[in-house]
Amino acid sequence: MTYVLLVEDDPWLAELEVGVLKDAGYEVTLSPHAPSAIIAIDDKQPDVIILDVLLTGSTAFALLHELQSYGDTNTVPIILCTNMADSLKLEDLKTYGVRRIVDKSTMQLDDLPAAVRSVLL
Amino acid sequence: MGVNGEDNDMHQHEVSSLTAAAHELKSPLALMRQLALRLESGDISDDQRRLIQQITLTSERALRLTSDLTRSARLEDALFEVEPINPEQLCRDIVDELAPLFEAHGRSLAVTHRSHPLLLVANRDLLRRIIMNFSDNALHYSQPGTAVHMQIQALTKSGMVRVGIRDYGPALSSDMWRQLQKKLKHSPQTIHARPQSSGLGLFIASQFAEAMQGSIGATRHRDGATFYVELQASRQLSLL
Repeated sequence: MTYVLLVEDDPWLAELEVGVLKDAGYEVTLSPHAPSAIIAIDDKQPDVIILDVLLTGSTAFALLHELQSYGDTNTVPIILCTNMADSLKLEDLKTYGVRRIVDKSTMQLDDLPAAVRSVLL
Repeated sequence: MGVNGEDNDMHQHEVSSLTAAAHELKSPLALMRQLALRLESGDISDDQRRLIQQITLTSERALRLTSDLTRSARLEDALFEVEPINPEQLCRDIVDELAPLFEAHGRSLAVTHRSHPLLLVANRDLLRRIIMNFSDNALHYSQPGTAVHMQIQALTKSGMVRVGIRDYGPALSSDMWRQLQKKLKHSPQTIHARPQSSGLGLFIASQFAEAMQGSIGATRHRDGATFYVELQASRQLSLL
């Protein structure tokens, strides 16, 4: 089963996204911030990481730097799921392993499972 | 520091505060929309579905405004591309997107077709935001059961193309509009003839139009108003 690590600090949105991803048949672990995401990745390497940008504490970019600095994690595809989508350019972020940007303010319920499928192709 | 410098600092401070507020509002609004979408996908009655759709559409309207606010604050720093655009096609795309919102309010939105398409020079994203903004304004000031019309005209003498959004609602006072235009560039102002409007949407639309060397304006009718944006016609017009 495809294993997705969801990094989202809003508990209600996280609950909703976990439900949608599980309904789509994925195994999901939730991390509310970057340090807990690192622990979760050490525990079991995800096939895909879905990452909010403005997290409590350090931002997603600190985590992206961390992931890129290790040979075993720098190939994990990243999906940014953020309210800042209109400020970000996918081309600029590809070197950080970011493969898709999903705009939280316009996304539909099935957009996250669709994004996971697309980065695993 | 002179008076103008202080005014500019105050203006910048206001813009920064608005942008910060807009960004803070975006997360809860996006969450409300997602929760409503989740509810809507469940087993609910028709009345509940209608109410939930209204929550979704209202959240989307508020999200558009917050997004426009954050975009307007970045105008001075950002480089954006302009390109020849067929405004009629863009209007049709917007009509498709806003149709559920207009339908939910008992109104409709249509584009007046031109047999000879016009092209103008604009940034697609900014022009889209202006037209969305005017459409949203028209939705809330038109009478139930009426249609809002998008109209595209060539202004031959000035070499501009005008995209207008015509609504059928309360008349707009021309005096108030003149006052509004004077102040529009400095801060959001109330259009008193339309008391529920803060003028914020028009202020943002004005900034977007200016960034593309265009302008916005309004025409008063007995039974409503046309809000329009004027932008440079594309030279490719001569090829048509």
